[in-house]
Amino acid sequence: MSAIATRYEVVVGLEVHAQILTQSKMFCGCSTDYLTAAPNANTCPVCLGLPGSLPVINRRAVEATIRTALALNCEIPEFSKFDRKNYFYPDLPKGYQISQYDLPFSRNGYLEFDLKGEAKRCGITRVHLEEDTGKLLHEGAIHEAQASLVNFNRAGVPLMEIVSEPDLRSADEAREYVMRLRAILQYIGVNDGDMESGQLRCDANVSLRPVGSPDLGTKVEVKNMNSFRAIHRAIEYEIGRQTEVLEAGGRLAQETRGWNDARGLTVSQRSKEYAEDYRYFPEPDLPPLDVSRKWVAEIRAGLPELPAARRERFMTALGLSPYDASLLTASRPMAAFFEETVRLGAPAKTAANWILGDFSRLLNADRKEIDEASIKPVHLQQLISLIDSGAITGKMAKQTFEAMYGAPDAGPALEAARGSTQISEDAELDRIVDQVIAENAKSVADFKAGKAPALKFLIGQGMKVSKGRANPQRLDALLREKIS
Amino acid sequence: MPEPESELSSRQVEHVARLARLGITPEEVLRYRDQLRNILHHIEALNRADTSKVPATAHPLEERNIMREDRREPSLPAEAALRNAPSRDDSYFKVKAIQE
Amino acid sequence: MKLFQRTIRDLHQMLVDREISSVELTAAVLDQIDAVGDKTKAYLLVTRELALRQAHAADERLRAKRDVRPLTGIPIALKDVLCVTDVASTAGSKILGGFTPPYSATVVERLEAEGAVFLGKTNCDEFAMGSSNENSGYWPVHNPWALDRVPGGSSGGSAAAVASGEAIAALGSDTGGSIRQPAALTGIVGMKPTYGRVSRYGLIAFASSLDQIGPMTRDVVDGALLLQAIAGHDPRDSTSSSRPVPDYLATLADGVKGMRLGVPKEYFVDGMEPAVEQSIRDAIRLLEQQGASIEEVSLPHSDVALPAYYIIAPAEASSNLARYDGTRYGFQAGGGRNIIEEYMLTRQQGFGAEVKRRIMLGTYALSSGYYDAYYLQAQKVRTLIIEDFKQAFKKVDALLGATSPTAAFELGAKTQDPVAMYLNDIITIPANLGNVCGISVPGGLVDGLPIGLQVIAPGFQEEVALRVAYAFEAATEFHNARSPLMGAAA
Ligand SMILES: [Zn+2]
Repeated sequence: MSAIATRYEVVVGLEVHAQILTQSKMFCGCSTDYLTAAPNANTCPVCLGLPGSLPVINRRAVEATIRTALALNCEIPEFSKFDRKNYFYPDLPKGYQISQYDLPFSRNGYLEFDLKGEAKRCGITRVHLEEDTGKLLHEGAIHEAQASLVNFNRAGVPLMEIVSEPDLRSADEAREYVMRLRAILQYIGVNDGDMESGQLRCDANVSLRPVGSPDLGTKVEVKNMNSFRAIHRAIEYEIGRQTEVLEAGGRLAQETRGWNDARGLTVSQRSKEYAEDYRYFPEPDLPPLDVSRKWVAEIRAGLPELPAARRERFMTALGLSPYDASLLTASRPMAAFFEETVRLGAPAKTAANWILGDFSRLLNADRKEIDEASIKPVHLQQLISLIDSGAITGKMAKQTFEAMYGAPDAGPALEAARGSTQISEDAELDRIVDQVIAENAKSVADFKAGKAPALKFLIGQGMKVSKGRANPQRLDALLREKIS
Repeated sequence: MPEPESELSSRQVEHVARLARLGITPEEVLRYRDQLRNILHHIEALNRADTSKVPATAHPLEERNIMREDRREPSLPAEAALRNAPSRDDSYFKVKAIQE
Repeated sequence: MKLFQRTIRDLHQMLVDREISSVELTAAVLDQIDAVGDKTKAYLLVTRELALRQAHAADERLRAKRDVRPLTGIPIALKDVLCVTDVASTAGSKILGGFTPPYSATVVERLEAEGAVFLGKTNCDEFAMGSSNENSGYWPVHNPWALDRVPGGSSGGSAAAVASGEAIAALGSDTGGSIRQPAALTGIVGMKPTYGRVSRYGLIAFASSLDQIGPMTRDVVDGALLLQAIAGHDPRDSTSSSRPVPDYLATLADGVKGMRLGVPKEYFVDGMEPAVEQSIRDAIRLLEQQGASIEEVSLPHSDVALPAYYIIAPAEASSNLARYDGTRYGFQAGGGRNIIEEYMLTRQQGFGAEVKRRIMLGTYALSSGYYDAYYLQAQKVRTLIIEDFKQAFKKVDALLGATSPTAAFELGAKTQDPVAMYLNDIITIPANLGNVCGISVPGGLVDGLPIGLQVIAPGFQEEVALRVAYAFEAATEFHNARSPLMGAAA
């Protein structure tokens, strides 16, 4: 690997497709909820491409695209339009996709991220808006299939294409870029970030060039990676494959290759020799758009705090390490969970450790998001306070946490843990109260003299002696009884 | 007969037909080639107009920013969406295999 | 006079006065279709039951005097490029054989709301591509004035239906002259409104930046009435204008006194029949006698309008027609070993020769390496043509010329020569490229065949074109001439 690293430089550019969270489709009023609907139930003359139907632009999708572009530090040109991209495929009902060609909503942005403590910046070529295609189901394996089934529920769902510059230099950088990008999309509320269901999709252009060469090598487009892990593995594989070809004195073909996750390799899909000619031209059915500075300013004003700023704040105001701050801000729900836990009184470092440790491990195993878990910030904060007060040991806390996580409601599990450790038997409490009275004669006298706060102090002493395990209500009652 | 460089060739006709997914017989290739050459010959007149400082008109109207609000409207009843399908399988449109 | 010979305005009065019922009127027109339909071949589909059902409903409305509109109970034909819910809509193409849309075009909904009666779908050139109706995927249409002649195209079926008494009025569509030219060749009135005046939603697209739906009627008043019913903004068509629609009848009879009318010298093209030219010169003199001032104007880029059109329209069409792949609706060839073969077979067998020719031409014009020389250049020429009209309309209120350089020609006369056929549209095409409106009004008979006077007005000034056309019509008897198939007015 080190010999390779000195001879070739890895050049990766990513094309990320992100569905936009809208109620209705890009050009018609059909629902975008294509995952749960019956096949072809969310279709109409427009998204089925019936003769005579016409598209009408969804304003929210346009604004979400500009919102994304602003979050990625892009320029927003004052004039934009839609174009037709012409090609035939059974999932494309009109025989063309309405997309953007030479005047997209944005260009020239960048995304900053951090890799092992090193600051990186990747250029964003453009963010443009288009419509998603339908979905094909193959009867059997795609190669042997005699027929495919088409469902147009997804056809016309608003889709952003975020194209990066070829600025990424390793599989690690590529994965980190997509993680950061995903976090931003979630933060600004334009996309759920779900890669497995295809709401977020990533294609990579991978090439190698001799170190020091300004020219780009032969580019291979890798498709079909539907997790961060797949992106990393596919690019690693492709770097290895291309290196082998070049080392053997061979030539690389400019082609599209699909990532096969099960077999852990890329497979040639089609050669770019007969490159498609998409015959782009301005979409005559849609008047162009003047993107006024006022409109852009309004969209900018609606942007929330972005992950980079939040990460900075977690480091400076809460004292987190850059690494922890990065991980926590990678997902908006996770960052929000963390912040709420701290706001309720938990120490930041402890809360971060729990969230990034046991909690993330359990969530990952279940493929769940933090906001889907039964444990809420208040539960974690109380658990942490039990540990801090010494009421339960670290080992017990771990078991308690897992019990809370596994229960449909974390509350009772937390109470049970608290209850099981509490001393409620009068015999043992008697002993504790006697000890407190014996050791705090002055406070006892104060209380007798009518100074109410003295009792609070005595209860506190009782909690201390019992290592937090005494039931405070019972302590209160017993102390009053014995002193009076 | 060799074809002059500047004129539409049979190969180009075949390429264009393929792009447009139009099946075409060898006789049709020749017929379309000759007809399209003749039409393109007349279309050459376009270059008589000096357009060096002229913007293109892609959209005839001055209307801009025509958009709808993001609101759901009823989709077609499932049967209405599918009833014209030449081939279907349950609620899916059925098409020939993708791979050759 | 027989009912099917009358105008919308006449019939409306008779319906309102309960002199006749809509069912009676509809039956009379359906009988005329039965009588002469085999000769004209104007319809692809006659919706007899739908028509009678709608006529009954219209009669209810008339009886109750509830929301009676100018078109309530009037039998109208629809060009087959217009979608009507549950009614076969094929655009004259085999590739849409059997297609019944689950929705209606906006204009169809508007006519339904008026209480109009739909007689059926009229024949047309396949996907509206043609000037003689010989490119229909089904059968050619015959001109009611001379059955061996073409009715013009592409709205030839609508024109023949109105001219033969098989409809009181009809809707057509005009991309490069497809309403005006057949109207001229069959002796009726046909109007192409300004692009954006009438919603295109539900119009099976030929060339999206040029297509417009418009009225085809016996006279100018009927044209104004029908346009009034269909014009106006539609949120489902992003290219439909939100400008208010004026009352077209209000200014119709204002006359041309004091108006400035221009005669573009370029519109007297090579190959124009001398008798046609003479009729147009006579028409211009007549309007001058009515008090209009006439001046010659120049539209210097008229000679490049035809080539620009034959790039822009086929390019857009090549994309618009990509959806006809046999997988979701219409014809499917079967027999392909995979999807690409299946596409090629379906489109090879489903489309006719002219449509394929234009798809190839348009695909070529958009393809890599040729886009700038053809498509982009054509769009720039379009800008010049728009500018030509703007300059001319600084000097004059409307323009006058022939609609077609010749009267109706014989069937088969030009089918072997696409370019000769394309030249038919040479004086109608500029109005489509130039975003203006145009109307063809009967301009006399040449050797017993009708010819048309074309009036072109600035964009969104349909009322100006209608007013000039009406002044001419009021001063002539040409619109009262009836085709032999329609029969003499008794
Ligand atoms: Zn839809």
